[in-house]
Amino acid sequence: MSSDTLTRKDVPTAPRVRGDISERTLALLLLAPAILLLLLVVVYPVVQLLISSVHFIHLAQPWMGTPFVGLDNYVRAFEDPRFWNATTNTLMYIVVTVPGALVVGMGLALLANQPFRVKWPTRLGLLLPWALPLVFAGLIFRWFFDSRQGVVNDVIRRLGFEAPQWLSSPDLAFVAICIAIVWKTSSFMALVLLAGMQTIPRSLYEAAEVDGATTWQQFWRITVPMLRPAIVVALIFRTITAIQTFDIPYAMTGGGPGDATETLAMYIHKTTLDFLDFGYGSALAAIMFLISMAVTAVYLRHTRRESES
Amino acid sequence: MSITRRTALAVAAAAAIVAGSASAQAQTTLKIFTGGQQRPDVMRQILDVYMQRNPGIRAEVEVGGATSEQQQQYLNTVLASRDSALDIILIDVIRPAQWAAAQWAEPLDPYLGAEKDAMMARYLPAYREANVVGGRVIALPYFADSQFLYYRKDLLQKYGFQPPRTWDELITQAQRIKQGEGNANLQGFSTAGAPIEGTVCTYLVPVWGSGGNLTNAQGRLALDGAAAKRPFELFARMKDTGVLPNNIAEIVTDRIRLDFQAGNVIFAQQWGYAWNRFQADADSQVKDKVGVVPLPSFADGQPSTCIGGWQLAVSAFSRNKQAAVNLVRFLSSPEVSKMQAILASHLPVFPDVYTDADVLKANPWFAEAQPVVRAARTRPVSPRYTEVSDIIRSNMNAFLAGTRNADQALADMTTRLTPIFR
Repeated sequence: MSSDTLTRKDVPTAPRVRGDISERTLALLLLAPAILLLLLVVVYPVVQLLISSVHFIHLAQPWMGTPFVGLDNYVRAFEDPRFWNATTNTLMYIVVTVPGALVVGMGLALLANQPFRVKWPTRLGLLLPWALPLVFAGLIFRWFFDSRQGVVNDVIRRLGFEAPQWLSSPDLAFVAICIAIVWKTSSFMALVLLAGMQTIPRSLYEAAEVDGATTWQQFWRITVPMLRPAIVVALIFRTITAIQTFDIPYAMTGGGPGDATETLAMYIHKTTLDFLDFGYGSALAAIMFLISMAVTAVYLRHTRRESES
Repeated sequence: MSITRRTALAVAAAAAIVAGSASAQAQTTLKIFTGGQQRPDVMRQILDVYMQRNPGIRAEVEVGGATSEQQQQYLNTVLASRDSALDIILIDVIRPAQWAAAQWAEPLDPYLGAEKDAMMARYLPAYREANVVGGRVIALPYFADSQFLYYRKDLLQKYGFQPPRTWDELITQAQRIKQGEGNANLQGFSTAGAPIEGTVCTYLVPVWGSGGNLTNAQGRLALDGAAAKRPFELFARMKDTGVLPNNIAEIVTDRIRLDFQAGNVIFAQQWGYAWNRFQADADSQVKDKVGVVPLPSFADGQPSTCIGGWQLAVSAFSRNKQAAVNLVRFLSSPEVSKMQAILASHLPVFPDVYTDADVLKANPWFAEAQPVVRAARTRPVSPRYTEVSDIIRSNMNAFLAGTRNADQALADMTTRLTPIFR
């Protein structure tokens, strides 16, 4: 049987075993550790978070106790200009860095997919930013953009221009952070896209070449449509991590100047771990969780519609 | 028979427990948490002395983040989860109120007993007050600190200047020297401007210097009038005259030290620890070219500075509290204060140590430092200090970066600080 000519849809699903209790029990037993672990490390903390979010819990004010306050913390968030500022900043990072990482990641994947004789330099270039901890990337880029000692300003000065204060200006700091995020995250995009590219049969390109299609046409007519599922997966993962953007702006600007580059995750971190306001911090985290869910739902609906059509 | 056997077993078990606890006591391990900037190397030298005298104790140092707030973030996690991993923790002078409120520090009164009053009386008054919250001793002082004006002795001499007494003089001198030297990298005056704890002092020092304060005697917010605007006016002038470095909004405490050490700063508002680094570090370009004086004042105001310093708290979750208290009492002794002064230019918490001949030999400027430390002001005391600090420093940082003007920054501070000091 030549399984490589079959697509996934053609593979028959395993016949359901009806009433086979022992098999079912076995399945449950096998799943139990995973379920238990999930309950412990996912469900319990999430429930705890939701409970905290409807209480007043401020570790710096233990004499206040931890009274139930209903939705007060959520109301407070909606009236809090700093929450809106942080949310807007986060959305800006998503809008810029998700497509940015997709475009750069696509370029990297195409490069890595080329039949070079020596593959390791491109592969290493792909893996290195991905393997680097986020906060390291932030620290590295903070030095790149340092206004006095930074390499970026050194180059700008050598070219005869006036060197700007990257991290002291809200707009330039935003640009610098976006560059760092795109650099850091496009390699993950590239890895997912590269995996997708390698499943595209070469025969399609060969046929296109015979028909006289240009490389550009091949890219838009074959690569992109065939890659669509991989692109969606990459976008979902990237968007969710973009909603949680924390490390890179934290290391590069600490949210400054003022709170011009502060993200929602940074504000949550600050509220809980610096201000010890666990009640309000939990409410903010719950809101962020809802945003993540909403974005994921939009993507998933989009993909389902796509696969149906 | 069976009774005697049972008794024998019980006795044996009890003996084993006693022996076990005795051997545990014989090798009690204490873990001390300190920040990277508070010279853990020097603390290790001091602990070696203690371990030699107390063979039953092993003291280990855990080094945390470089800045006060990075350390506190880590400690918040450890202590909120009631972790017993740390026995003694070095905390910033701004923290005892918060630590007392959160019940993270073991109150030391019962351990000090009748000695308490006599013992506390030996410290400089500011540190006695900083460590007693609601009548209870929350921590004991390790070393004192306050901000001083560091200046380049060689450059001031070259241009025939005396160390400045007023901010006006400082600006004029810095401008002249910068002009004369023609070095684009030379900064006139450097101070903390990034959104970090030190930037709170950058704002408050000129407020105090103009007779203002953040809170009034009743503990309510009193940030109004001319004094509240004075820091903005001062730093705007320094910016306009090119005296402040143009990356002031990126500058953190140790960056001031590094820039000064590289010979790129004329005047700096900086803590006591920097002296030892300027004099002792191999890469220092400014050895023997540094002078230290009190910070300047306004022509119509009074000199003022921010109090700093680090305190030793015993964790409320420690399993070796008595041993930890014993070690804390050693670390907070005149003997250790003197060692620190010589090894790290850490300012003493005991008045007598300032006049010790060996200490003065290592730090000639300590002779004039004591009145400065005595007059240094305390940042507002609040269990919610981290929020207070964040509000002040982020606004000051935004102002220095030029993204908020003085009125906007002051309005934002007032709106957000009012509910905290209600």
